[in-house]
Amino acid sequence: MNELIQIIEDDISVKKLLEIALKEYKFRSISCENKKSAMMLFLTHNPSLLIVDLGLPDGDGKEFIKQIREISKIPIIVVSARHDEKEIIDALDIGADDYITKPFSINELLARLRVALRRNTHDEKILDKIICTDIELNIASRDIFFKAEKLKLTPIEYELLKYFLLNTNKTLTHKQILKEVWGIGYQNEMQYLRTYVNTLRKKIEENSTRPTYIKTESGIGYRFSCHKD
Amino acid sequence: MPYISFKKKYSYGIFTYYHVEYINNFVSNFNYKVTKSIMKIEKKRYQKYTYLLKGFVILVVITLISHLFRDSLDIINIGLIHIIPVVIVAIHGNMKATIFITFLSVIFFNFLYIPPLYSFSVHNELYLWSFIIFAIVGWIITVQAKNLHMQTKQNELRESLLHIISHDLRTPLSTIHGTINLVLSNENMNANDRRSLLEDINYASLRMERLITNLLDSARLHSHDIDLKYEWCDFEDILGVVLKDFSQTQHDELLDIKIDDLGLYWGDNTLLTQLITNLLDNALKYSNDGSKIKLQIIYFNNFIKIEIFNKSEHIDKTKLKNIFDKFYRLEDTNDISGSGIGLAICKSIVKLHNGDIKAIAKNDGISIEVELPITKRLNLI
Repeated sequence: MNELIQIIEDDISVKKLLEIALKEYKFRSISCENKKSAMMLFLTHNPSLLIVDLGLPDGDGKEFIKQIREISKIPIIVVSARHDEKEIIDALDIGADDYITKPFSINELLARLRVALRRNTHDEKILDKIICTDIELNIASRDIFFKAEKLKLTPIEYELLKYFLLNTNKTLTHKQILKEVWGIGYQNEMQYLRTYVNTLRKKIEENSTRPTYIKTESGIGYRFSCHKD
Repeated sequence: MPYISFKKKYSYGIFTYYHVEYINNFVSNFNYKVTKSIMKIEKKRYQKYTYLLKGFVILVVITLISHLFRDSLDIINIGLIHIIPVVIVAIHGNMKATIFITFLSVIFFNFLYIPPLYSFSVHNELYLWSFIIFAIVGWIITVQAKNLHMQTKQNELRESLLHIISHDLRTPLSTIHGTINLVLSNENMNANDRRSLLEDINYASLRMERLITNLLDSARLHSHDIDLKYEWCDFEDILGVVLKDFSQTQHDELLDIKIDDLGLYWGDNTLLTQLITNLLDNALKYSNDGSKIKLQIIYFNNFIKIEIFNKSEHIDKTKLKNIFDKFYRLEDTNDISGSGIGLAICKSIVKLHNGDIKAIAKNDGISIEVELPITKRLNLI
């Protein structure tokens, strides 16, 4: 792997940590400390992924994400302080692919980075079958199998699980899920999402308080975890 | 090779030396503090009686002096000096004591100096005003003194808070600092040792993070204008989030979780998560080694009951009452890190949801029981 990662981070020690970690795992990296030079670097170097800190000295990282989304589908991972749930949700809703909170573990960041890069390369393919460990979705026949047995799902449970399977290992905000599965106008009806996640967990998780598939990102949304490697 | 082993030993030596010194400091500091605070309490108890006695003695002395110089002192001056004992007692901020000494003072003054002499009756109504003024002066000073006392108390609390924070933050920090120095100075350390030391650093930093989160939350919960962010919460989901932070394998064996198949609960998701985290963290910290921790979440008609039980040495019932007070900690558990801030936060969160939290001693352990009223029911179409 030799992808070029662009880091936009104004905290020097975090930047250094990221640079060293990326180098260690055979990524190339370029970095900058503010929005202005970030755009310049992005346009001149054409990186494969962006790591963006939300609090930048010359403005909001979200603004930068918005600008990037107007011209590119490049994967974006947001770095933020833990208490900024609203910031994170906003960033995800305007098009960031994933987030990580400070203080973060490098392993977690690398895992999310790989997933984002992989998803980007697979993005264009139209799949007829999605397999995630014990779960198998056949899109044409609308069947989902769990441990080779057909799952009995209500239509909404099916739509929800399908949406999760199409977006594995990605943080999905409550709003995004409600909009995609229930439709526009349902963005704030959290009770539906909570209830259906609960019933879905009962069907696919061995221990619903230690979920291995549907992981809760507290205050933000859910992440459907799927480890192929 | 001998060189390496020497160096290793030496470094470990420094490491332990730092820690031993730190622990020693802390223990002696702590002993000193305890003795000092006991002395303070004793002194306070003693003082409680002395200032009243002092006021009384002064009153008697004043009365005697007034009696001796009655002719040269006018009745106004005698009245004025009879306020002195009231002032002296009132500055201690105890309203009952003030009323008592005012009453005595008025009686002495009335009985001995106000015509008709040596009787409690009053001929001139104007003197009744004097008695009322006595009471008003006493009242004003007591109220002012009370405010002042409260401020000092708050300052003391702030000071102890600072002390606790710096201690609790410094403990993991000293682990991090010492361990990093050890790793840095020991380039040839074997991989296993290094890994275990790094895990120590990781654990210490997690502890620091949790403490800082708690401190921030505590500040937020105690600023009075907090708005709860009500939403539909799933306790199973909350428990899942909480358990993610206690993911070490040993914890799973210790936990015995029973959760009703509940509907959704109308509350503040973030705060309820914090509540369960702190309850669990507390139970894990104070339970006897290796004993099971029971966590139950039960649905009743009008409320949800969260019950968490951990085995522990016998605990004094009077101490259990104070367990939720800010920064209170059972005295014999000072070797366990944590500032006692966790349970104080639990109490705030439960109160904000109009619920009730109590600690009960039973079956050789502590059971903490939370009751949260159900205020809204969900109707899914």
